[in-house]
Amino acid sequence: MSLNQFSELFLDLDSSNSINKKLEILKNYFSMNNDLENSWSIYLLAGKKNKRFISGSSLKKLFSDIYEFPLWLIDTCYLKVGDSAEVITLLLKSKNMSKNKFFQEISLDELLNKILPELAFIEEDEKKLRIKEIWENLPNENLLIFNKILTGTFRVGVSIGLITKSIAKYINLDESIVAHRLMGDFEPSAKSFKFLINNKIDLEELNYKPYPFLLANTFEKKVSEESINNFQFEWKWDGIRIQLIKRLGKVSIWTRGQDLVNKSFPELEENTLFIKDDFVIDGELLVWDFKEELPLNFSLLQKRINRKAPSKSIQKNLPIVFIAYDLIEIKGEDKRELDLKNRRINLEKNFHKWINQSEKDISKIFKISNLLFPKTWKEVENLKNKSRDNGTEGLVIKNKNSLYLSGRKKGIWWKYKVDPMQLDAVLIYAKGGSGKRAGLYTDYSFALWKDGQLIKFASAYSGLNNEEIKELDKWIRKNTIERFGPVRSVKPEMVFEISFENIQVSNRHKAGISVRFPRISKWRKDKNIKDADTLENAQKLIINKL
Amino acid sequence: MIKDKTDLIKYSKNGLYCEIADIWIDPHKPVKRALITHAHMDHFTFGCDEYFATYETSIILKERIGSQINIKAYDYGTEFKINGINISFHPSGHILGSSQIKFNFAGEVWLITGDFKRQKDDTCMEFEKVKTDYLISESTFGLPIFKWEDPQKTASDITKWIVSSPENTSILFCYSLGKAQRLLNEISKTNFKNNIYTHSSIYKMNNCYKKLGINIANTIQFDKTQNINEFKGSLILLPQSLNKGSYLQKFKNIQTGFASGWMSIRALRKRSGFDKGFAISDHSDWEDILKTVKESEAKNVFFHHGDSEALNRYLNEKKSINVLYFDS
Repeated sequence: MSLNQFSELFLDLDSSNSINKKLEILKNYFSMNNDLENSWSIYLLAGKKNKRFISGSSLKKLFSDIYEFPLWLIDTCYLKVGDSAEVITLLLKSKNMSKNKFFQEISLDELLNKILPELAFIEEDEKKLRIKEIWENLPNENLLIFNKILTGTFRVGVSIGLITKSIAKYINLDESIVAHRLMGDFEPSAKSFKFLINNKIDLEELNYKPYPFLLANTFEKKVSEESINNFQFEWKWDGIRIQLIKRLGKVSIWTRGQDLVNKSFPELEENTLFIKDDFVIDGELLVWDFKEELPLNFSLLQKRINRKAPSKSIQKNLPIVFIAYDLIEIKGEDKRELDLKNRRINLEKNFHKWINQSEKDISKIFKISNLLFPKTWKEVENLKNKSRDNGTEGLVIKNKNSLYLSGRKKGIWWKYKVDPMQLDAVLIYAKGGSGKRAGLYTDYSFALWKDGQLIKFASAYSGLNNEEIKELDKWIRKNTIERFGPVRSVKPEMVFEISFENIQVSNRHKAGISVRFPRISKWRKDKNIKDADTLENAQKLIINKL
Repeated sequence: MIKDKTDLIKYSKNGLYCEIADIWIDPHKPVKRALITHAHMDHFTFGCDEYFATYETSIILKERIGSQINIKAYDYGTEFKINGINISFHPSGHILGSSQIKFNFAGEVWLITGDFKRQKDDTCMEFEKVKTDYLISESTFGLPIFKWEDPQKTASDITKWIVSSPENTSILFCYSLGKAQRLLNEISKTNFKNNIYTHSSIYKMNNCYKKLGINIANTIQFDKTQNINEFKGSLILLPQSLNKGSYLQKFKNIQTGFASGWMSIRALRKRSGFDKGFAISDHSDWEDILKTVKESEAKNVFFHHGDSEALNRYLNEKKSINVLYFDS
């Protein structure tokens, strides 16, 4: 019941590509360890908010100081490994350390509750000594996990879904209940694990927790073979997905990422309290332009999320709305087993009642997601193509007979996104990747033309397949002009089609524009750099959008 | 004395070349005369007029190229002369028959390490320390993150991996020459009792090793037409080239592993797509490269194979050793 077991668990999970095997491994692990350790294990495996006790670069610096090891050499190694915790672990292996290790058995609780938090309160020199002592006295097999926990970078290929499944299997309880219990904040304690595996189901205990979100799949052509009457159509908003919960008079605002964001949106909490009934509504939070009756850019919403306790003037300048699209609990009654058709009827009925009966006018902040009624799939396509005019990113297509299940279940909700905007740009910088892509140049910067010069406008990491990554990596090494640490400038020669979701004016960027979700959509080997787009073309996209 | 001493052996993209002897070392293109350090595919080429190698390497080369090749075989340590240069082979510890090559000319010694390792390996001669003026060393694993574990530990990890999955067939990919035999030798020292199957390319090399007196565990030649269920709980060694979806498709209930020094890095392990990586290498790790440079007493060192930037700078700064670069 210790770091030893957890390290072993990590190795086992890391050396299996089979979901079933991982499930078995987890189940066995939970059945063999105590509640407290299990609780910490879930905390680490879920990796929701792993605390960083020291940064990766401080870790490298520490090693360099302790063992008088050149920092440049650690950095060179990093380029190959792509993970500070792992580099230091590998380097520690070549230190001749004592055979008598003091720390044979450290529990996760001791480590995460005592040893590591204490580091924050001691002087730099003392810290060095402590970490050196741990490094030299932990069994070698535990070093990687220790360093990863220390730097808050512990990750392993296990999803929340898999953890949920394994616990459900271990205690023979329905998966959806375990999933629900795992929602929101997970406090690592024996108590919370006991709650998780409790066979008695007590709804009140779940009061502050959101339901597992129902997620949409990417639209597939075959959906349009079905009758259009089977589906409900709505705009796909580019905001934050929210479950707005009011139970026993208390409001909680949960994001899909399972963050409680009451503090960032006090006006939503306030207005919600004017509604008499208890409920859980699934919907979207947006910053709104009340003149145009359109959502404002996502970046403004981000400003709101990042600010806890926003001032009145911020609330006024960046006003929010909550668009309700599903009613999944009403007056304490779970309605997820009701089909969408009926949930929608419930939603409309209650929503209008609440707005009308409220003492205060809450109709500004609360909206209901309006349905669209295309008559043919061709019309659906046309609607989708017009979604940018409405400040949305496409359509959500929902099966009217569907229940509110948890997770990304196929055939229930589909997202049909508008085609991305695209520009052809020239590769000018490349940077070494990290994690799985260590040792390869995989982080690229792209430029557009302006007055005969190439101006950087976006960076992208994804979109190429493994063969293309290898090929481009080779090309980058051969065509480097200059090296600045991990970054290389390369001969402007390669043209790529870059896709992105949105474009806007930005003073923070040299090009004067910024784009959302840029990624490579095509390697345009057929194009000469002279054929790449100009910054002017990019600016035209902004104008056309408005 | 020759005018430019740093020129006895030159580097070109076709291999290392000694102009005075008109002889190539491990050439990539057919040439008149070729010294072969060892019989891995990327260290020799078909079609040279004349080959020079150790006795063991010559046997393996004949197996790989054909017995008709014109090859002169020498024992380790035996000097022979070409155009006034004394040349000799010395054990490099990489695989059976592998050698360092020593050039002795006009009072100065040049040593090409070839691929080498210092770790214990019962399937080949131990690395011999040779003193030299000029050292040309490989640097495949020239970073301090590489530190090899005891091969017995790796072998017991492998057997543990197989035994803990009795319902699966364990497929371990590795080089068919050298690594496969070393693994078989190490595994034979563990208590692994189940069947071991080897692909024909490995099976052939096993026989070569056995003929040359090396102790290798007996294996069954792998025949993919056999019923896969017979292989449950056993180990199959396959060459890396067969790590293709189409080849493995008909297998059910398998776990795959790969034995290579690169597997010590998690990102490479993940990218390789194998379930499990075993870090075991027939090349030197960082410490052993440094040790070899030091023990050779060479004043001038060249590196090739692999990225040697870190070694160059480290030796310059920390050990005040002159690292030279081939003009390429």
